[in-house]
Amino acid sequence: MIPRFIYALIAFVSLFPLLVLAGYSIAPGWTFPDIIPSRFDARAFEYLGSQAPSVLRHMASSVLYSLLTVCLTLMLCLSPAHHFARCDFRGKATLEGLFLAPALVPVMTFSMGVHSLFIRLGLADTFMGVVLVLTTFSYPYMLRALVAGYQAIGPEYEQCARNLGAGFLTRLLRIELPLLVPSIIAGGSVVFLVAFSEYFLVFLIGGGAVDSFTGYLFPFLTSSDRSVGSLLTLLFLAVPVSLFVLVESVVTRVYRNRGIY
Amino acid sequence: MKLSPLLVPFVLLFLGGLTLAVSQSLGFWLPLPYDGGMFDAYTALLDPHLLESVGLSLYVALVSALVSVSVGAMLAYAVWRLPDTLERASVVYKVPLILPHIAVAFIVLVFWTKSGLFSSVAYHLGLLNTPAEFPSVLYGNYGLGMILAYTYKEVPFMVILGYAVLKRVSPRVVVAAKMLGAGEVYTFSHVVLPHMYRVMHVVFIILFLYAFGAFDIPFLLGESSPGMLSVEVFNLYFRRDLANRPVAMAVLVCMFLFSLAFIVLYTKLASSLEQKERKL
Repeated sequence: MIPRFIYALIAFVSLFPLLVLAGYSIAPGWTFPDIIPSRFDARAFEYLGSQAPSVLRHMASSVLYSLLTVCLTLMLCLSPAHHFARCDFRGKATLEGLFLAPALVPVMTFSMGVHSLFIRLGLADTFMGVVLVLTTFSYPYMLRALVAGYQAIGPEYEQCARNLGAGFLTRLLRIELPLLVPSIIAGGSVVFLVAFSEYFLVFLIGGGAVDSFTGYLFPFLTSSDRSVGSLLTLLFLAVPVSLFVLVESVVTRVYRNRGIY
Repeated sequence: MKLSPLLVPFVLLFLGGLTLAVSQSLGFWLPLPYDGGMFDAYTALLDPHLLESVGLSLYVALVSALVSVSVGAMLAYAVWRLPDTLERASVVYKVPLILPHIAVAFIVLVFWTKSGLFSSVAYHLGLLNTPAEFPSVLYGNYGLGMILAYTYKEVPFMVILGYAVLKRVSPRVVVAAKMLGAGEVYTFSHVVLPHMYRVMHVVFIILFLYAFGAFDIPFLLGESSPGMLSVEVFNLYFRRDLANRPVAMAVLVCMFLFSLAFIVLYTKLASSLEQKERKL
């Protein structure tokens, strides 16, 4: 009885706001003092339908820069993570803490300087600039996940492959990366989520020239008509969720085919 | 040498951005000629209006982090105690984590404005007759709206990490405690909670620093006077005269130094954690 009640409470608090948003998206005229909307119409859907190309363009741009950020963080973090996991040296904990700092300090403290820097370098208002600044802010999550991954695997596989004469590239592609897949997925999902839902950095560095879903969403959230904002928020949720489901099912299938799982 | 790939984001952008902030706060490398003294911007920080923003930011960050950590720890325990089938189904608690901050702020807006959903419920309960009678939760100068938004967003974060710790604790300790006569509250506070202390400290630092300096939620839900530090800096940087830029940068430098102290603490705490219990 009590466990069910607790579960119901958790589920209710987590999901009820989404239900309310769904309510707003089918009942744009829902106002005080109705608890349940009295009139339903499809205005929000019609509006978004007419704006479909623009919505899709912003969403595609967001997905693209988030995925690029994931790839870039992965490439940048692989070798440092290997080093942190395998070697012991003086000041290691401090150095690791320093490298994690960009995710912990308020983003603004360095991004304003980066903005000035990018204006000089001509990277402000460019797609590449957005990817770079998102990478700076989110790579610590990837680094952390990869260090943990390398530590969990242990050095034996690598040594064994090296003894059998495998070169650097073979070891990386056929031993390390396949074993690291769970960590890459863990770190990658956090990085993707952080990049995909970031509003301020994209708005600051992208300056409106780089399309983003959060930037598209923002004015609707502040408008007095809540229906479009609600619908877009629900749409927003669909992207990372479906991406996670896709990755999960692909990985499970590959593992099964190889008889690992 | 193997650390060199990180030089691009870390040294070039992170440290580079900080250096530029420091130098602009001192009056160098500004887009406009600057005729003030080196430390003028820092003396301008003592302005009472800015000090009030500092107070508000600290207060909002402290309250939201404390509430998130305590509620999250209790929920982590609750989820851990659920029967297996329900335990697996309880992943729904992660929903607020996937929502972007601006969407969480929007949800708070939908529920808590004077004509929002809670106001409507209060009307039907006979507690009020017009929306104006609903208490000013959002813009009532106590930052309540922001605290609500941060808490809703951050409780699941604590649940995930707290639950990861509890996963490795044998459920039998609870049974043993109960057999020895411990009540529900005593079991939680003296048997289960100590396992989570370290992860709670770490989560507190992460959440506190985030709420202290983040921009998204205050931009939607914040009050204007005094505003949160991040919004004040944004206004100084973009909306007003370019001459204010050194002051904006000086605020940022101080915010950075303040958070640096916490990061030192974080590094000490986090290195004592098990690998699986860390997200960052």
